Amino acid sequence: MITVSFNLNGKDVSCTVDAKEVLVDTLRERFRLTGTKKGCGTGDCGACTVLLDGEAVRSCILLTAMVEGRKVTTIEGVGTMDHPHIVQQAFVDASAVQCGFCTPGMVLTAIALLNRNPNPTEDEIRTALSGNLCRCTGYQKIIKAVQLAAERMREGR
Amino acid sequence: MNKTKYVGQRLPRTDSLAKATGAARYTGDIWVNRRDILYAKALFPPYGHARIKSIDTSEAEAIEGVAAVMVADDLPGMNGYGGMVPDKPVIAKDEVLYEGDPVALVAAETKEIAEKAVKLIKVEYEPLPGYDDPVKMLDPSSPMLHTDNPFHKNHNISDEQIIKKGDVEKAFREADVVIDNWYKTPLVDHAYMEPDAAIAEYDPIQGGITIWSPQHAVQLAKRAMSDAFGLPQSRIHVISQLVGGGFGGKEDSTFDVSVVAGVLSIKTHRPVYFELTRDEVFKGTGKRHPSIIHHQLAARKDGKILGIKVETIIDKGAYKSIDAIPSRTTQYAGGPYSIDNALTHSWSVFTDHPYGCAFRGLGSPQAHFAMECQMDELARKLDMDPVELRLKNILRDGDTTIWGQPMMEERGLGLEECIRRVTSDPKFNEPLDNSDPRIRRGRGIACFMYGTGTGSATDGAHVMVQAQPDGSINIGVSASELGQGFLIAMKQIAADTMGVTIDKIYLDYADSAASLESGATVASRTTVLTGNAIINGLEKLKERFSAVAAPMLKTGKENVCFYQNMVFAKGLENEGIKLTAVIAKAFASQVPLGAIGSWYPPMATPKGDGLGDKMHTYAFGCEGVQVAVDMETGEITVEDALLACDIGKAINPDTLEGQFEGGMAQAIGWALMEEHFMSDGKMKNHTFHDFLIPTAKDIPDLRTIIVEHPNALGPFGAKGAGEPPIVPGAPAIRNAVYDAIGIGLNEIPMTPVRVMEALRKKSAENADKSRR
Ligand code: FES
Ligand code: FES
Repeated sequence: MITVSFNLNGKDVSCTVDAKEVLVDTLRERFRLTGTKKGCGTGDCGACTVLLDGEAVRSCILLTAMVEGRKVTTIEGVGTMDHPHIVQQAFVDASAVQCGFCTPGMVLTAIALLNRNPNPTEDEIRTALSGNLCRCTGYQKIIKAVQLAAERMREGR
Repeated sequence: MNKTKYVGQRLPRTDSLAKATGAARYTGDIWVNRRDILYAKALFPPYGHARIKSIDTSEAEAIEGVAAVMVADDLPGMNGYGGMVPDKPVIAKDEVLYEGDPVALVAAETKEIAEKAVKLIKVEYEPLPGYDDPVKMLDPSSPMLHTDNPFHKNHNISDEQIIKKGDVEKAFREADVVIDNWYKTPLVDHAYMEPDAAIAEYDPIQGGITIWSPQHAVQLAKRAMSDAFGLPQSRIHVISQLVGGGFGGKEDSTFDVSVVAGVLSIKTHRPVYFELTRDEVFKGTGKRHPSIIHHQLAARKDGKILGIKVETIIDKGAYKSIDAIPSRTTQYAGGPYSIDNALTHSWSVFTDHPYGCAFRGLGSPQAHFAMECQMDELARKLDMDPVELRLKNILRDGDTTIWGQPMMEERGLGLEECIRRVTSDPKFNEPLDNSDPRIRRGRGIACFMYGTGTGSATDGAHVMVQAQPDGSINIGVSASELGQGFLIAMKQIAADTMGVTIDKIYLDYADSAASLESGATVASRTTVLTGNAIINGLEKLKERFSAVAAPMLKTGKENVCFYQNMVFAKGLENEGIKLTAVIAKAFASQVPLGAIGSWYPPMATPKGDGLGDKMHTYAFGCEGVQVAVDMETGEITVEDALLACDIGKAINPDTLEGQFEGGMAQAIGWALMEEHFMSDGKMKNHTFHDFLIPTAKDIPDLRTIIVEHPNALGPFGAKGAGEPPIVPGAPAIRNAVYDAIGIGLNEIPMTPVRVMEALRKKSAENADKSRR
């Protein structure tokens, strides 16, 4: 067992985990942050995406031990129902949510993209999201949501 | 009917903010937050077909924290469950028939203990030959897959359906041309993002059980599992959490997990959670049935189709599941065309593969793939425009389908409009850029029809409606929120029917105890059947409230109107009274505030030979696509896709477009990428990196056109819309590829390997021709 200390959604936390434990399980089962979903456990679907120091990573293939001293942001850390993040609101407004199982991962990937590229082309959005599978939407309205969020962020709304 | 305020509007869904912020809870999220629950694992076999010689569970049982280990002999009830017949064992006893048959179950205090324990169960197997080929299995001389299953006595045939209309032999004799081809479609997974999971909790008070799981059908679930639990259907309480994608698959796969959690909970009298890993989802849960189709089409030289003969062999996998595919493939074998003579024949045949179950379109995509390829083959043979050829043959008012059902404009017949709107679209008519010899571009279209509802005698919907004294309304409905947007659509229908603001409508949904049988959330039936049942229930309340309000308004009850929480006499909108006042009066006057709403479609009328009316209304559509084929790699890119679909009436255009786009994208996956490979009953590819589904990079801008030819029997004119959008994509892509490279590929997915093979074969043939 290893004790790991990191910053989780703005708070310093620590936990003692098995060396093989992956971050998605730590977040869901120890911290009960169930907004992070587990769709495959093999690093393929992107449902488990979280931000690690601002970069989108797959928490199902990241050992919890590796986040020592780093900053982890989950979907719960970016906005709430009362105060949604611009990207979350854009997903709602663009009707980009269907079953919703991919949505937290999509939102976080989009936030990471917009933070490094506030004005992405459609192609850049598609490339950025290509590691996040969605079976429901055909991505159409998700792309629109990211474009809408980018526009609103640029306008400072 | 009141004025409509909500129906037809792009209202935001009620669940999207909760989903986008992570606040929405799925089944697995409940487990995380409830630490009294045991964690279950199943031991699955390393073979697709094997005899179980012995099982030793002693080491697993000895581990501290293991609450139960179960083998077939420990079950509380019958060793079988299923949506249609209980033919699938909860735990395999003597033989495993596919990789998804559990051999033993474990429930333990923690996930770690359960995982450890299941690995300690020792099973001795005798591997048996795998039965992979449904064509061989159909041969009467082949061995039987089910040697001892009371439900399967007809050799390896799970179901067989035939439609016979007119005189097919005569039609073929009189034809100017006959188009005769074979088509093949793959075994594919639904690839819903949420892996299957269930919680079961034994009820010690009345000796029942409650199941939480992502379900398509909370009422059907009671029937499907009651024998296995050894409990009367009434004691099974099923709640469908939010469903993280289903597409038909979770209609069955949820029983697979629910039944395991359930028997363990009955045994331990503890709540039990059981989830599948993605690997287990791929290997064990239902799939879209692969099909092999022999399609023969006879036509006159002016393009009029005279007859079809179609044989379809369907790989059923190991268990029956929802076996409507023979019925649907015979039904849709002639596409949306008026054809006087038809003989269509389908068999679903057992193999050692994952069971084929419902998957968006239920056999219709397979059938339309063959038919719409045939239409392009016919157009080429006759040197006709494929659009004109289709327009010449489509079903119009008064025509009958191959199953003998007359088509009526009053039930919505918008196919011609769909075809015209797609084919006249400016972008779809831009000149193709074929300047680079390496990239060949082409366009193609495909048409289809798809019925609303199951077309069976049991189809119908019942709901509970109850007005509250504060003017809000509860509606108890057993349908599930799969992501399709049923909650918002039902609210729109209910608010407009009752004449209340939409915030007054609250749905008690997907809970078998709070609702009545309203059929499964499948078959593109919920908007129409459940919507109509809600209207029926609310009309009953309004009738009662009209009688109460009439003296208050000093008018006749036939003049009472309801709008935006107010009740008024016709024409006197400004002199209304509040609905709450009417409800209060009703409450104090022995007028019940609750009612049951019911709706049945017109009864299907089977007449023999597969003929007779089936569904009461049909969606129609046409998709046009543009593809680019890389002649050096064989890679196909869909560059443009435009779907026009007649769904009667868009209750909520936003969610409807979402269904269109999702279906179109799934069709691209089915046409170009998705395929499970099976050998000796074992799946060769069972991860998302070797079973590929489309990413955002594989899908073009998806363009959609909503066409509304109202269904006189639908709520506000609606028809079913969930499944239809997947149907035309694959043949439209195939026909576009044909246009691009001059080769008709008759097997999907059209992977680069298949494309390169076809290109090489063609160039060899050309070389051969030029030598001669
Ligand atoms: S759950 Fe991590 S990528 Fe799928
Ligand atoms: S909304 Fe269902 S997987 Fe994306």
